[in-house]
Amino acid sequence: MKPARANLYLSLGCVGFALLLAFVWAPMDSGTGLIHKVRRQVSIGDALAPTLAAIMIGAGGVMVFLERRAPDQPGLTRGNLVFLLRFLAIMAVGFALMRWSGPMLVAVLNGDQDYRALRDTAPWKYIGFFIGGTGIIVTLIASTEGRLSLRAVMIAIAATLALIALYDLPFDDLLLPPNGDV
Amino acid sequence: MGVGDYIWMGILAVFQGPEAFSLFGIAVSITIVMVLAGFLLGIMVGATPGLAGPMAMAIALPILISAFGFSPDALLPVMGFLIGVMKGATVGGAVPAILFNTPGTPDAYMTTLDGHPMTRAGQAKKALKLAHVSSASGDTFSDIVLILCAPFLAVLVERYLDLPEKAALLILSLGFIASVIGNSVGKGLISMGLGLLAVYIGTGEDFYPRLSLGTQTLAQGFPVATAVLGVLILGEVFKSLEDLWYDARANKPVTEPAQSGDQRLHWADIRRIAPYIARSAVIGTAIGALPGIGSTLAATLGYASGARRHAKRRPDAVQFGKGAPEGIAATEAANSSVSGANLIPVLSLGIPGNAAAVFLILATESIGGFNPGPGVFRFTTESVNPELVAAFGLFTTMMLANAFNWTIGGVFMRVAGVMVRAPKHILLPIVLMLTLTAIYVQEARMSAIWFAIGFGILGYLMRRVGMSPLPFVIAFILGGKLEDTARQAFAATGSDPWFLFTSPVAALFMALAVGFVALSLRRHRKGPQ
Amino acid sequence: MKRILKAAVAAVGFASLATSALAEWTPPGPIKLMIAFAAGGGADTQARLVAEDLEAKFGWKFIPEQVTGKGGMNMAMAMKDMPADGTVIGMGASETLGYNMRVANAGVAPSDFTAIATTASFQMGVVSATAKGWKTWDDLKAAAEAGETIRFGVMSPKLADLAYLLGKAQGIDLNIVQVRGGKDVLNGVMAGDMDVGFMAGIQAKGVASGDLVELASGLSKPLKHAPDAPTLADLGVDFNADGYFTFFGPGGMPAEARDAIAAAIAEVVTTDGMKSNGMVTKAFGAPDVVTGATLQTLVEAEYEAAGKLLEAASE
Repeated sequence: MKPARANLYLSLGCVGFALLLAFVWAPMDSGTGLIHKVRRQVSIGDALAPTLAAIMIGAGGVMVFLERRAPDQPGLTRGNLVFLLRFLAIMAVGFALMRWSGPMLVAVLNGDQDYRALRDTAPWKYIGFFIGGTGIIVTLIASTEGRLSLRAVMIAIAATLALIALYDLPFDDLLLPPNGDV
Repeated sequence: MGVGDYIWMGILAVFQGPEAFSLFGIAVSITIVMVLAGFLLGIMVGATPGLAGPMAMAIALPILISAFGFSPDALLPVMGFLIGVMKGATVGGAVPAILFNTPGTPDAYMTTLDGHPMTRAGQAKKALKLAHVSSASGDTFSDIVLILCAPFLAVLVERYLDLPEKAALLILSLGFIASVIGNSVGKGLISMGLGLLAVYIGTGEDFYPRLSLGTQTLAQGFPVATAVLGVLILGEVFKSLEDLWYDARANKPVTEPAQSGDQRLHWADIRRIAPYIARSAVIGTAIGALPGIGSTLAATLGYASGARRHAKRRPDAVQFGKGAPEGIAATEAANSSVSGANLIPVLSLGIPGNAAAVFLILATESIGGFNPGPGVFRFTTESVNPELVAAFGLFTTMMLANAFNWTIGGVFMRVAGVMVRAPKHILLPIVLMLTLTAIYVQEARMSAIWFAIGFGILGYLMRRVGMSPLPFVIAFILGGKLEDTARQAFAATGSDPWFLFTSPVAALFMALAVGFVALSLRRHRKGPQ
Repeated sequence: MKRILKAAVAAVGFASLATSALAEWTPPGPIKLMIAFAAGGGADTQARLVAEDLEAKFGWKFIPEQVTGKGGMNMAMAMKDMPADGTVIGMGASETLGYNMRVANAGVAPSDFTAIATTASFQMGVVSATAKGWKTWDDLKAAAEAGETIRFGVMSPKLADLAYLLGKAQGIDLNIVQVRGGKDVLNGVMAGDMDVGFMAGIQAKGVASGDLVELASGLSKPLKHAPDAPTLADLGVDFNADGYFTFFGPGGMPAEARDAIAAAIAEVVTTDGMKSNGMVTKAFGAPDVVTGATLQTLVEAEYEAAGKLLEAASE
């Protein structure tokens, strides 16, 4: 994409978003307007600050439009978007595994107790984090290396165990993902 | 309670705090241990390309808070550790720059210009020593300026600024930051506006959580950690990961040239570089005291000014860019002297100027009991102001970190050279998991992880379109305070719609804010022609 | 087998009623403790100390978690649909279930929650800095009548209403400045950004050292440290800021669970030598415990009464 074109899209997007925020989102989704009267005193309402944020985004958009032909302006490529999609897919699968593998294993192996009561009991509480965490790290390393190696798996397992040792073992009150949600 | 009493209590708070262990019958306080640990970690992190001080600070924070709790006793050990990391990373950044021509931190880029040529000429150890002395000098100088200036500035602010002026001052800082960071005011303003928008979601005075779209997920707003870590750290991780995916040479072997000759740092060397250090330290401190400009510009200016002087005074010596010791000194003194001065606006106004300062503020907010800002320097006479004691305690930890830097910093810098070999494509996924786990243990809900990833993507996109993420983060940190102060000033003046302009000081601040944005707009529009 | 045993235990607990519930009921897993106050503040410390004491004394396991904002309403809304088996409780103020829930109009009422126990009552005073020169409420009134603008700091909409009614009853103009918490009122008053403000107990240290002075009591009764200061009723206001730090849980919690937790909290905060008891005694003079059904009635009454205060303040 040509830099000037990238800046054009950016500025149009910002101005459009700013208008949406100032005239639709902020006024319709705030408890009080720009200003309001309580106890016979005029006060600043909840919609004022987001409206100012919208003005800032809009003004920034206009300025980018004016200076869109400046040299050295980077822009997004199709490759960037492909990367983002791949990355998000890895995250979605990884965190889904992290969230559900613990409860599923408990349901299969330990029928009469639910995962919630075990969320602070070893080894149950580590299952989701271990499977999901290892999975994410392995996949990310493998995608840069272009192949799945035993070394990557070993590193991922070691790293996840180290994270457990770092955040869970010394502290009573911390919950590893996903144990705060169950 | 005089000023002297407060200083003394601050020093005692560090040295006589809760005991970690005792050495030959002398109790060693936990704060000292934490400063040292932070400093060593900082050197390692700074020396590892792809990692940076703020990253380590962010990841350490939840661990530190769980270990020390939310009590007032927690403040000095936790802050001491973070300050140690900040200072360690500053020195450590020079290591890979000198040894392998890859800067460990962005502001060490200029160090590669003369540091690596020295390594190729077989003078690596000497270059490291030069960098260490310069960095430690700049850092110490900057801290002294901080300790002398911050209390004064704070007392002035507290005495002369009322609520409307405080609101105007916040607007001035934001205007200044939007116009100086990055290459485009327009993009700076967009970044800042998005930061404000993000912090206004779910907050507000009314009981309805504004902009929450009626959902319970957004009603509690975005936790600070998700926005700050997401944009600053995950954004950078995503970008580096992508670069690695598309870069087949990710694992190119690192080679080290053979080293020879006299590696010692002589008194004559120090005399030669001293003027460069002094000049750069002043430049770095002056730049650091202004919020938002940052150490990279300081390094550039220090280097440029040193190069000019060098070419004029000593045209026959090795010139900058060819392996001149003076070049390393000018760069390292400049970028290291930013960190202390950067805390002047933090401690006297509560306004962070760079990423490291953002994490220090985050830490004080998480622990509670210490609110960086003018209220800290209230010299009460009847009772003890614990925040003021803590402030002098913080100054003590900074000086302590400097002492570690002078004594053992050099040795550890040389040891940290091994970190350069850590392969980035393995490190980054682990850092990613580490950051997300750190966020989860603080927030205990999966939505926080998704918020962080969302902000990470925002930070990634900002980097790809050449927009600095720092105005976003600073706006996120200051946005709530700005709205609160403005509301309070408006209410306190009996709903005067012109409250930002009725007092001369407030009006001046507002005029300056507009002036900065307008000026930098003109500068940029002229720029391309 | 396990299940049958559990059912038997529950049945026994039910039969022997509240008095011995403490001995019979045990939480079926770790208890999530939601805290509606900012981390590191006095109220947060109190909640964490109560949890610590309960862990030490009864061997229960607590996992504290901050859910701050909107006067406790964020916590209430987050807690609403969580399991009501005693494994989720929260600490807020009685105001959360009373005034705030009424005004927030978020489709919930105190009956959707289970009030468990209070730990301490607010020492709500109208406080100014000694440096200001006022010694009594009359000094402030005189200054206002002489034309000085008075800035009055408050930390919740309910207190803003009370401050407004106070000014109206006394015939003086007050510029009411609302901030986020008691700490901010204290800082504002100390820094001179505000002339006077409501403080719920945070003023204790400053009053003792002579930096702060309590001009009036925001409660229905006099303050412990300033028994001579007039109450809001003395100053012509029909409402007051009486309130408690209150533990509550999701609605429909079984009575055995509620009573067991309430009895356990009551025991630790009133027992000499427990950490929470020490803290409460230092900051608020003494623990003040109201539990179970009595507390439920109390917050529901405040919820109903909130309408009258709102009406009075909007006149």
